Amino acid sequence: MTLTRVALQDSESATTSAFAIRQVSKRYGSVMAVDNLSLDFEAGTTTALIGSSGSGKSTVLRLLLGLEWPDRGTVSIGGHPLEPGQVLQLRRRVGYVIQEGGLFPHLTAQGNLALLPHYLGWDAARIGQRTKELAELTHLPLAALERYPAELSGGQRQRVALMRGLMADPDALLLDEPLGALDPIVRYELQDELKRIFAELNKTVILVTHDLPEAAWFAERLVLMRKGAVIQDGCFEDLRDHPADAFVARFVAAQRQLPRVPR
Amino acid sequence: MLLPMAGHADPVRIGSKQFTESVILGELARASARQVGIDAVHKRQLGGTRILWRALLQGDIDVYPEYTGTLTHELLKNVPANADIPTLRARLKPLGIGITDSLGFNNTYAIGMRADEAKRLGIARISDLRRHSGLRFGFSNEFMDRNDGWPGLRRRYDLPQKDVRGMDHALAYRALASGAVDAIDLYSTDAEIPYYHLRTLDDDLHYFPRYEAVYLYRLQLEQSAPRFVAALNRLAGRIDEQAMRGMNARVKLQGVEEGVVAADFLGLRADADGHPELWSRLLQRTLEHTKLVLISLGLAVLLAIPLGVLAARLRRFGQIVIGLTGILQTVPSLAMFVFMIPLFGIGAWPAIAALFLYSLLPIVRNTHAGLVGIAPELSESAAALGLPPGVRLRRVELPLATRSILAGIKTAAVINVGTATLAALIGAGGYGQPILTGIRLDDIGLILEGAVPAALLALIVQGMFEGIERWLTPRGLRLVARQ
Repeated sequence: MTLTRVALQDSESATTSAFAIRQVSKRYGSVMAVDNLSLDFEAGTTTALIGSSGSGKSTVLRLLLGLEWPDRGTVSIGGHPLEPGQVLQLRRRVGYVIQEGGLFPHLTAQGNLALLPHYLGWDAARIGQRTKELAELTHLPLAALERYPAELSGGQRQRVALMRGLMADPDALLLDEPLGALDPIVRYELQDELKRIFAELNKTVILVTHDLPEAAWFAERLVLMRKGAVIQDGCFEDLRDHPADAFVARFVAAQRQLPRVPR
Repeated sequence: MLLPMAGHADPVRIGSKQFTESVILGELARASARQVGIDAVHKRQLGGTRILWRALLQGDIDVYPEYTGTLTHELLKNVPANADIPTLRARLKPLGIGITDSLGFNNTYAIGMRADEAKRLGIARISDLRRHSGLRFGFSNEFMDRNDGWPGLRRRYDLPQKDVRGMDHALAYRALASGAVDAIDLYSTDAEIPYYHLRTLDDDLHYFPRYEAVYLYRLQLEQSAPRFVAALNRLAGRIDEQAMRGMNARVKLQGVEEGVVAADFLGLRADADGHPELWSRLLQRTLEHTKLVLISLGLAVLLAIPLGVLAARLRRFGQIVIGLTGILQTVPSLAMFVFMIPLFGIGAWPAIAALFLYSLLPIVRNTHAGLVGIAPELSESAAALGLPPGVRLRRVELPLATRSILAGIKTAAVINVGTATLAALIGAGGYGQPILTGIRLDDIGLILEGAVPAALLALIVQGMFEGIERWLTPRGLRLVARQ
């Protein structure tokens, strides 16, 4: 299967970072969510941001989408600095999937998928074609497209949310605990499928999770965060065999007690 | 509102105050017009003196019955208290207002008590009241405040009574008869004086001025309807105190229609206009009432939803808007209706304006609450898609807030149906009309004729909105609510 490419990606972006964060700080009241952070995400790679709740990993995604603006520092996408004037266009180059999907309950699955393409002026045939491709990619039964989110299973909702993020064929996918609300069996199946999908798409993927085995399953690069700063940045084996500090060791040890072990 | 008088094709508009004698005199004017072949409409019981006077000055009505004492003490400044009608005529002319000669009776204020009670306490004159400081007074609301009413009376006679309440004039008689109050203000032509065996106390210090009944009219009528003005002037001197008390008694005590009483006085056959059949009355009032509710509600929706959206977007602005509309809500409805008169005259438009202002708060507040209450992950998902704010509002946020907004509109509509009954006070008609008349004539049947349809209409509106809610709420949201 091939995907119709309507890429907005310019030729340079293959060589520059897909996303770059430079000395960014972000404070919510008295809490320092992100503290003087610098991170680069290479185009076409899959990175997992891990850490406990409140470590700032979700804030990183929100900064990359311009849903939050840094107090200090800069964020750029594909070499373009993120500015309020272009944020809408830049967001359309990035798919965003959150826990439980964030589907609009008043629209059917199809309605959720068509929202952005409608605005972009796509005709019905083009929307239908793209929907069919993505339904095949995500193994969503076509009948489910007519249903409302409340009528879908948790796994189907995540598939629709992923399709919605991919409709305009973005360069990158940002996923915030995408499998967090699923029961273990569905979660296990979707982990398999998502890994296959990421491989097929060959896009820049940044995934936020607090589950170390899941992070290791998806990503070659793990970024462990704590209190708004990066504690360790490397592959799973680095974290396991050479923890940067006692916290990393504890984090790895705590995760290893889970019954499921990464393959 | 301030339209100039058009040619004689427009019917002459007669107004009357909110008590029986005024309505009868209004009907007499209408019957006289009919006698000389002039088209006339009677806007019954529009309200108190101030409302009628302003309506006449602004040209919302052309004629209404008034009393000389009210002109000298209340309406005209710097006029001697005993000014005669030619003096008044000269003073009214610059205002564009004409005045007939006295119709023939003096309906002055008086203070009345139950005859047996007055005898027991040995009270015959108003000065005698000074010796009984514990007596309870129930005065009509207008009398409580007028220059020639209670404040002046208390000063002139140095009256010590503390328990003084304002109440509707028609209800005051019943309060007196049942012993709830000891003395009330009367009009000397009231039919109830003999009926309730009342004693009118001597005004021994000559406090109350003369209240000769007259018609006030706009001077333009002398050009546009000279025959009507002549007919009004022919009524002068024809109605003595006895005749007026008799007409009042027929209406109040025997339940005869004012129009019939007036026609009988002139020796005419009554026409149908004064008292249409129950069903056509109901139909007309339903049309008037729903018109008030629908127009005010429609305009409110047009303004309140955008205001609610802005309030949800701009926190500071939102606090101000919700605060201001909240203040509007606290204005007593009667006052709100009267405030609108200088801006919109009398009739349907000031009522619509008042109802419009009352409708704003529930709709603004619910629009605001509906938008602010959207789960943050949903508004954020819409933003993350890269949709501009306008599209997000139309396609995501407003649909998600539909229920809350509709609930606000429903609240406004139901409140409006009830509040619109007060619109009759400023000549807008509707279900309030029979309620007002019923209170005036002490006729429970008439009150129910307005109250029951108003309650039914409120229920129908409520039911309709539940239907609309079911129809407009997106199916997906109903599924969510069911789970």
